[in-house]
Amino acid sequence: MPIDLDKFKPAYDKWVEESMPDYLAGNVKEVIKKYPLIVSGDVPWTAYSGSPSEQTFAIVTSGGFYLKDRQPPFDTVSIHGDPSFREIPRTVRPDELGIAHAHYDHSLAEQDINVIFPIQRFIELERENIVGRVADTHYSFSYVNDAVSLVAETVPKLISRVKAAKVDVLFMVPV
Amino acid sequence: MGLIQRLAEEAGICTISMGNDAERMAKIKPPRALHVKFARGSMLGEPGHVKRQRRIILDALAALKTIHVPGTIQELPYQWKRPDPN
Repeated sequence: MPIDLDKFKPAYDKWVEESMPDYLAGNVKEVIKKYPLIVSGDVPWTAYSGSPSEQTFAIVTSGGFYLKDRQPPFDTVSIHGDPSFREIPRTVRPDELGIAHAHYDHSLAEQDINVIFPIQRFIELERENIVGRVADTHYSFSYVNDAVSLVAETVPKLISRVKAAKVDVLFMVPV
Repeated sequence: MGLIQRLAEEAGICTISMGNDAERMAKIKPPRALHVKFARGSMLGEPGHVKRQRRIILDALAALKTIHVPGTIQELPYQWKRPDPN
């Protein structure tokens, strides 16, 4: 496991309690600095093989994107953040996307979503046969601290959907 | 994002990620990543800079083939509002 939840959970609960004043005061840098990240020394690894021109790509962003007309926005208030994700179709128009993420400046992404969700660039590369296929569905997370829910619930769901969609490579863009 | 990436790799899905904070990346240890010098919220550079965005994705595709050591973070040379190197 890249994260030991039994060790992480008490450290996380302590962090929530201690970080709440900074969080409420908007000192996000302080809050992030104290976050009890627990990753093992080993780096999980899936070797790459094949050629991009024969493979399927999906984007995972943490930009807080959601479809304004049919998906709920992410929780932007809780110190736990929001561990859920939204599925974004490849056909999405930028004006259909809302951004629910309280901890970065949205102005650049609002000018051009490709700076953190480069869907249009990927579709161009698909047209040129540089990538084989751009998946029908892409994935957006938002700000999340609750790694317990992420590890136990959300990411397993993401992985099963990615596998069902026969995605070969995830291109992952944080904010 | 680093944690999601690690779990995906562990589950057999190949990934490549981006980051702009070398110190944080060293802590999170993403399996395969590109490091850029851009600000938070704009990992692929300036809005509307199609050529640069495309180039970064091409760099990522190339890195899939050239990164063989788990935990490798490849530095990209691009700088905000400065021309791309050749």
